[in-house]
Order: sequence, then C-alpha cells, then structure tokens
Amino acid sequence: MFLAIKEILHNKTRYFLVVFTVFLISYMVFFLTSLAVGLARGNRTAVDQWNAESVVVSSYSNKSLTVSNIPESSYKDYESKDVVPVGQMTVVTKLKGSDKKINTNIFGVNWNSFISPKLTAGRMPKNGKEVIADSKLGNDNIKLNSEIKINGSKDLYKVVGLTEDNSFFTVPIIFTNMNTFRTLKYGSDQAKNISALVIRDKTKIKKSGLSQITIPDLINHIPGYTAQIMVFAFMIGAMIVITFLIIGVFMYIITIQKISLYGVMRAQGIRTARIVAALFYQIMILTALGAGLALVAIAATQLGLPKTVPFYSNWPAYGLLTLAIMVMALLGGTLSMRKVLKIDPLSAIEGG
Amino acid sequence: MHLIEVKDVVKQYGSGRTLVEALHKTNFTLDKGEFNAIIGPSGSGKTTLLTILGLLQTPSSGEIYVGGKDVTKLSAKKKTDLRFNKFGFILQASNLIPFLTVKEQFKLVDKFTPSHRETMNQADLLKMLDLTDVATNYPSNLSGGERQRAAIARALYNNPDVILADEPTASLDSERANQVVSLLAKIAHEYHRGVIMITHDTRLLTLTDRVFVMRDGTLTEQKEE
Ligand SMILES: Nc1ncnc2c1ncn2[C@@H]1O[C@H](COP(=O)(O)OP(=O)(O)OP(=O)(O)O)[C@@H](O)[C@H]1O
Ligand SMILES: [Mg+2]
Repeated sequence: MFLAIKEILHNKTRYFLVVFTVFLISYMVFFLTSLAVGLARGNRTAVDQWNAESVVVSSYSNKSLTVSNIPESSYKDYESKDVVPVGQMTVVTKLKGSDKKINTNIFGVNWNSFISPKLTAGRMPKNGKEVIADSKLGNDNIKLNSEIKINGSKDLYKVVGLTEDNSFFTVPIIFTNMNTFRTLKYGSDQAKNISALVIRDKTKIKKSGLSQITIPDLINHIPGYTAQIMVFAFMIGAMIVITFLIIGVFMYIITIQKISLYGVMRAQGIRTARIVAALFYQIMILTALGAGLALVAIAATQLGLPKTVPFYSNWPAYGLLTLAIMVMALLGGTLSMRKVLKIDPLSAIEGG
Repeated sequence: MHLIEVKDVVKQYGSGRTLVEALHKTNFTLDKGEFNAIIGPSGSGKTTLLTILGLLQTPSSGEIYVGGKDVTKLSAKKKTDLRFNKFGFILQASNLIPFLTVKEQFKLVDKFTPSHRETMNQADLLKMLDLTDVATNYPSNLSGGERQRAAIARALYNNPDVILADEPTASLDSERANQVVSLLAKIAHEYHRGVIMITHDTRLLTLTDRVFVMRDGTLTEQKEE
C-alpha cells in the first residue's frame, strides 16, 4: 500500500489519466444502467404496483395484455376478492382547449379492487366521468381538476385524483371505472368484456381460450421490452469488458516503463509478491477513485436531467457494477503481473 | 568460516560461436571486518564478479558460500530474501526508488524488515553522509554526488553483513570520495562487516585490507611489495 500510494502521488498526471478513463467508463456504465432501469420501469411500474402473482389473458393474445380480450362468459365464474378484472386500452388524450395529442393508457378497474391505484393527491372518483391520472401527465399539464377528452370523445373527463409510478409500455396511465373503459373501448358499457384477470393468490384457472401466465412472463411479453433490456445489457456488458482491456493495457505500459526500477527493488531484496501487491493495490485505488467520482457525477446528473428522460438511479445496481468494474480492472492487472514475475534483478545494473 | 567464499566460479555469456568467458575460474574470499578492493580495466569482469557474489546472477559453474552455506542452488525467492537480509548494494547505476524521498527509502526498508532486526540510526546515517538537509528530496532533486551518498545510506541502513559497492565514488569529488571510503572502512573495521569495493581510483586504496586485480576475467591478489 505504501509503495502503491507513494508512486501514484509522485506521478499524478500519469495516474490521473487512468482514473479519468475509469471515471468515463464507469459514468457511461451507470448512465446506461439508469436509462435501462428507467425504461424498464416505464414499461412495467403499473404492473409492479399490482403486487400480483399471475394474470389470465386470452390465449390468442400471445401473452400480450394490449391484445387480450375476454368475454363475460369466460371470466364471470372466477371473479373474487383476489381475482379481479382489468381493462387496458391505448388512447390519445387531449387537454380541454388544447390540440396537443398525448399518448396515454386507460386502465379500467373496479375502484374497490386490490389493483385500484393508490392516491397521492385528490380523491377517488364518484362517477364514470371522473378519473385518476398518473402524476407524470403533469408534464403535459394534466393536473388535478384538469378536464380531458379521450380518443376524441365528446364527453369531458375530470381528473379528481393523482397517482404515482403508474405507467405501462412507457406510457402513463389514466384509471377509469370498468364501465367507462368499456364505453371507450367497445362503444357501450353493455359489452362486459375485460382485458385480463389479475390474480394475487395461488388460484389456478384452466379454461379453453384463456391462459394463465406469471407476472414476469407478462412483463417479458410487453412488445419490445425484452429487446430493449437486451440491448442495454449488451452495451453495459461490453463497457465492463472494455474496462478490463483499457486498465490492462494502461497498467501494462506503465509496468514496462518501470522494469529497471523493479530490477532495483529486486536487487535490494524486495520480494516479487510485494511488487505484485503494489500493482494490484494501485489498480484498486485508481478504479475506486474513478468509479467513486462517477457515482458523484451520476448523482449530479440525476438532479440536472429533465423529468421526461426515463432515468432511474438504482444504487444497489451501481454497487454491483462498481464491483464488476473493479474485478475487470484487477483481471487487467494480471496482464502486467506476468511481466513483473519475470523481472531479473540484474536489470538493475543493465538499466544504467 | 568465511563470510563469503567463491569456489571455482566461471561465468560465460552467450553460447556456441558467440560464447564469451567473462570470468575465468575464480576463487575469492571475504571475511568479517575485511575491506577488500577490486581494481582493473573497464570490461575486465569486475561487475560480473560482484553480481555473482551478490546473488544477482548465477555462475555458469562453481559455488558460492555465504556464511559457510552453499547458496548457489537456492530458489529465486530465497536468494531475494538473502539479498534483503545480508547484502547492501551500492550500484554503478543509481539504486534509489524514484518516487520515494531519501527518508522514505529507509521507511520502505522498515516496512519489510522483521521488527527484531536493528536498523542504523537514520539521523546519524544522514549526518554521516551529509544528507540531513536533503532528506526529504526525491532522487531527481539530488545532485549526482548526493544521489550516490543516498544510495550508500540506503545500502547501510539495514545493517547488512556484506556491502557490495560498484564504483561508489565515481561521481564524487576527491574529498567526498575519501570520506565515503573511510566510511566503508569504518563499517568494515568497527562494525565488523565485509565490504567489497570496485574502483578505478588507486588513490583510494590506502584504507583497504586486500586488493584484487581483475584482468580479462582473471582475478589475482595484489601482494604488497
Ligand atoms: N549480459 C551480458 N551478456 C554478454 N556479455 C556480457 C554481459 N554482461 C557483461 N558482459 C561482458 O562481460 C565482460 C565484463 O563485463 P563487466 O561489466 O563485468 O566489466 P567491468 O569490469 O565491470 O567494467 P567497467 O569497469 O566498465 O564497469 C565485458 O566484456 C562485457 O561486455
Ligand atoms: Mg562495472
């Protein structure tokens, strides 16, 4: 540790470059992770809030909630406190007096069921013309007491309550009661269809035309979700592997430049193990510094970033990624280790 | 029992047509309290002998005994430890670590020295070598002579049994050179260590006990006339 720190302090510029590179890589890794998590969450926060075990969708829907449609005859026998209907529909909303089209989701729910949204402001709706909106719609000026039109409806709907972290397919949700949902989707509240049954206990439902799937299964079948996660995972993985190469090459070059110095140390009787230890201590110190700075930078980024960017800080994930980066950097050190192990104390003399 | 004994040591470099015998069959001893000098023309094999003595390289044939024990075939790790514990090197090239100040060079030795071993008093050592004022300088901020003296201080610091000095006075003026040689003599005679010094300067031989001459790889002892 003594050797490692002394050397870093004596060659500040050289080692600053290493720290800076680690900083850039870690920052990129953290940033991409935050976007990936943010985007993933945008796809699924509403589903996460259900805290459910499984859902039942129509078999032909290929596990996609947006396509699923279940007629009354197929589901009415199963409804209970723990098995509740949900209606989903993708719509365009306009604020009264504005022409701006806003993509939203409608979730039709029974207000007294367990998937009814948690209010953060306002009150629960009292009739079919009152709705609850996700607070993210505030970015488009849809606030408490706003009046909105849904899919060009003549009727105005009034936002009487707000909820948080309720989006699906990265689009924020407006909650209505089941009848309003049916009117919007099927043109009449006489069509008693629903999109899916949400189940929070171990109930198993087997019926032709219906399939029961787990919540993770449902999420993975949100169109594009898996592809997005994969793209990010590969980018993050690639960056971490690049850490290995960059640190490896950096430390290798620095090691090569120090061969005659190492020769002197060996001639003085300093064990190779101590020199190798100093090398790895250095890598640990440098990557910890770089990743630490990146964490500070990412915290600052979060404060400065506009709300519309799907950026979500996940500190446990950052911790794991920092660990992965350190492991890769230490692996990079093994490239130089071979060189150090072969150092001949005689090079102390040849060096001059 | 000799402190160091070299028996029939030969050193060859290269092989086949490029084979050079830098050191012909050599026998040499160093005892406790002895201050020996090796002189001879450039390229005659002095450094080669010194590095073999100091276990920095292995001879092509022959044996080396340190304290009566054959060390020729020890593992690299054992040789490293032996160097740390028994030898102090003062090399032709500077053997200071560039990112440590003079004081920190000592500190490094402290770190790796078992606590029961006595090191020399730092302040005394620095004073003796006139390094007190530059003790917190890095090697790059020392003059050539100061650097040489710092290297000597480093070599003496952990009380080695044997001091191997390859032209320790090369970059010093004659007054300083005399001081360094008397210091080495003192180390040998008062502290009962063995000291070997390679030098070109025959004026420095007044304090030495035995003088060897190296010529074309052959070592002979110079007898007083
Ligand atoms: N690694 C090596 N490979 C091949 N030949 C070498 C090697 N090291 C030294 N020699 C040769 O061995 C001979 C003795 O070299 P050595 O360094 O011992 O001389 P020296 O007496 O110390 O000279 P100087 O007074 O200039 O330091 C020289 O001819 C040198 O070229
Ligand atoms: Mg020489």
